Amino acid sequence: MKEFYIGIDVGSVSTNIVLIDNNCDVHYSAYTRTNGQPLDSVKKGLKELQRALPADAYINGVGSTGSGRQLIGTMVGADVVKNEITAHATATAHIVPDVKTIFEIGGQDSKIIVIDNQMVVDFAMNTVCAAGTGSFLDHQAERLGIPIEEFGAMALMAERDVRIAGRCTVFAESDMIAKQQFGFSKSEIIKGLCEALVRNYINNLGRGKKLDPPYVFQGGVAANIGIKTAFEKEIGHEVIVPKNFNIMGALGSAILAKEYILETSSSTKFRGFETADLDFQPSAFECGGCSNKCEVIKVEMDSKVVAMWGDRCGKWTNSL
Amino acid sequence: MKVSFPYMGTTIVYKKLLELLGHEVVMPPKPSQYTINLGVKYSPEFACFPLKVITGSYIEAAELGAEVIVTSGGHGPCRAGFYEQVHRRILEEKGFNVDFIVFNSMFRDFKQFFANMMMLKGTNSWFKIAQSLLMVYDMIKKLDILEKRVQELRAYELKKGETTKAWEQIQIGFDKASSKKDLQQAFNNGEVLLNQIKTFNIYDKDRIRIGIVGEIYVVMESSINMKMEELLGNLGAEVERSQYLSEWVAYNALPGFMNRTHEVEILKKGEPYIPINIGGHAKQTVGHIVDYSQRGFDGVIHLMPFGCLPELVSQSIVPKISQALDIPVLTLSIDEQSGTANSLTRVEAFMDLIKGKRMKKIS
Repeated sequence: MKEFYIGIDVGSVSTNIVLIDNNCDVHYSAYTRTNGQPLDSVKKGLKELQRALPADAYINGVGSTGSGRQLIGTMVGADVVKNEITAHATATAHIVPDVKTIFEIGGQDSKIIVIDNQMVVDFAMNTVCAAGTGSFLDHQAERLGIPIEEFGAMALMAERDVRIAGRCTVFAESDMIAKQQFGFSKSEIIKGLCEALVRNYINNLGRGKKLDPPYVFQGGVAANIGIKTAFEKEIGHEVIVPKNFNIMGALGSAILAKEYILETSSSTKFRGFETADLDFQPSAFECGGCSNKCEVIKVEMDSKVVAMWGDRCGKWTNSL
Repeated sequence: MKVSFPYMGTTIVYKKLLELLGHEVVMPPKPSQYTINLGVKYSPEFACFPLKVITGSYIEAAELGAEVIVTSGGHGPCRAGFYEQVHRRILEEKGFNVDFIVFNSMFRDFKQFFANMMMLKGTNSWFKIAQSLLMVYDMIKKLDILEKRVQELRAYELKKGETTKAWEQIQIGFDKASSKKDLQQAFNNGEVLLNQIKTFNIYDKDRIRIGIVGEIYVVMESSINMKMEELLGNLGAEVERSQYLSEWVAYNALPGFMNRTHEVEILKKGEPYIPINIGGHAKQTVGHIVDYSQRGFDGVIHLMPFGCLPELVSQSIVPKISQALDIPVLTLSIDEQSGTANSLTRVEAFMDLIKGKRMKKIS
């Protein structure tokens, strides 16, 4: 029997599932769109994974990460529920052992992680603004009528430079429209947009940090060659995009699950692939206990409450 | 007269003092989402977050019948200095007739300080005033001793939430005390309560200690800082705040030449980074980061209200200090818009960073 570990990364835009063995080699990976339905996309993903699974496989541990980590962790019975910063850093340190700086741009958030000697020493995450993330590019690609997959390559065809205001998504868009009206080509505008996004990203997150090579660029947006090129131009150094750039979070959480299981020599809490068939119902209600009126999230499995969170006082969380 | 005050930290202390002086106290409700909503609605959009929450608090207190609000002023170029003026106008526009008594440092304007004292003194004798002040100071000191134990115990409790419950009980106990003897009794009861909490054992070398620094209101008032102390405690870290009421009182009550309090030392430690007074608690913030690093703390959480000028200055100096002293610092800016999920991710990652630093690996 062969032991495997599953990592699930539930993000705002994509849901990624990976399967690794004891050597952390990736045996299966899937990158699917969440489409606002984290539960369904994970259920579907698990079913596909089950089909691809070797007959003698045994799931020895599961990790979950991403903004939906808590919900999904409860559903599948994850052994490790970790924040995405730690998960990403774990995966990158495994693949590029001497990495010093990680640029990660996902669907709705972006981070810089500074690593020294395989340890996270500093990090930053975008705060109140989503300018410079995947969703913004997605939206602009749609507006320009270009499939997002071709977006990056088009930037490389630009002949001239054009500067687009990148501080805010809305203003970037109006600036793009203005520049289109000035007669710049689509590819030039896209290049300008990529550069604006990178500039904004470095200014916002890299503030006051010493960013040293090797640089690794990951997350869904790393598929965009235009952004990669803009990064290299901005920092004046080669940027590495790892092979599994878009599933690094999931990979990291699988590695963390493996480490946890092996270190504590415990057995997994994984509910099995049958969870995909269970009736799993999250719901929210407003607690009227005090004037905070917390929005409490209640998760039921086969009409039995399995988890609750969201209350500030712990009245519901601790009630289970 | 019915007296109220801003809600910050262990409020039973202010309540006790005013009660001892024979005033009828209107206790403002603990800031909740309702308070914040009220405050945001009636405050200027670009005001700092504490001003907004306090606006909400005052409106709630005024609705409960408060006639006079006792508060402290600001010092230096920080907006806390005009809080009272702004709040006064907002309450007036809302149709509340509320008077303010603002205590600034008595060493700056003793005349005003004295006038304020006379208003609160009423018909009490000076002896009674001195006695009450001493008793309340004793109470603050006792509460702070217990709170520091709470902040330590919470990291190791077996049953989540037990320590916080005990701490609430302790405060209720102190609230009922009305004599020196009662205070001692409340203190002893508190110690018993805390001793009963079951904890797991931990080696000294495995303890993780985190300091919380920043602007006083967001540091002290747990209801608006995502219960940072509890959050860190539940993640397994002992916590210490940069501000405790007893230290604040000691520092502000003593004149400069005989002031040997902890805070003076802290300010000195911060001087290489921020040499002049820029208002708020910026100097304390950097001083405390230096202090925590010297005392071997594992990390510091720096809380600042969104748009707080002094803390913006300290924020930009933090990376330099953090690097020079090799102590991780996480700055979180807090306001009504802050998404808790987002901040939670950061705090969790920060804890991983600290634990990783210990174990020489990522997590």
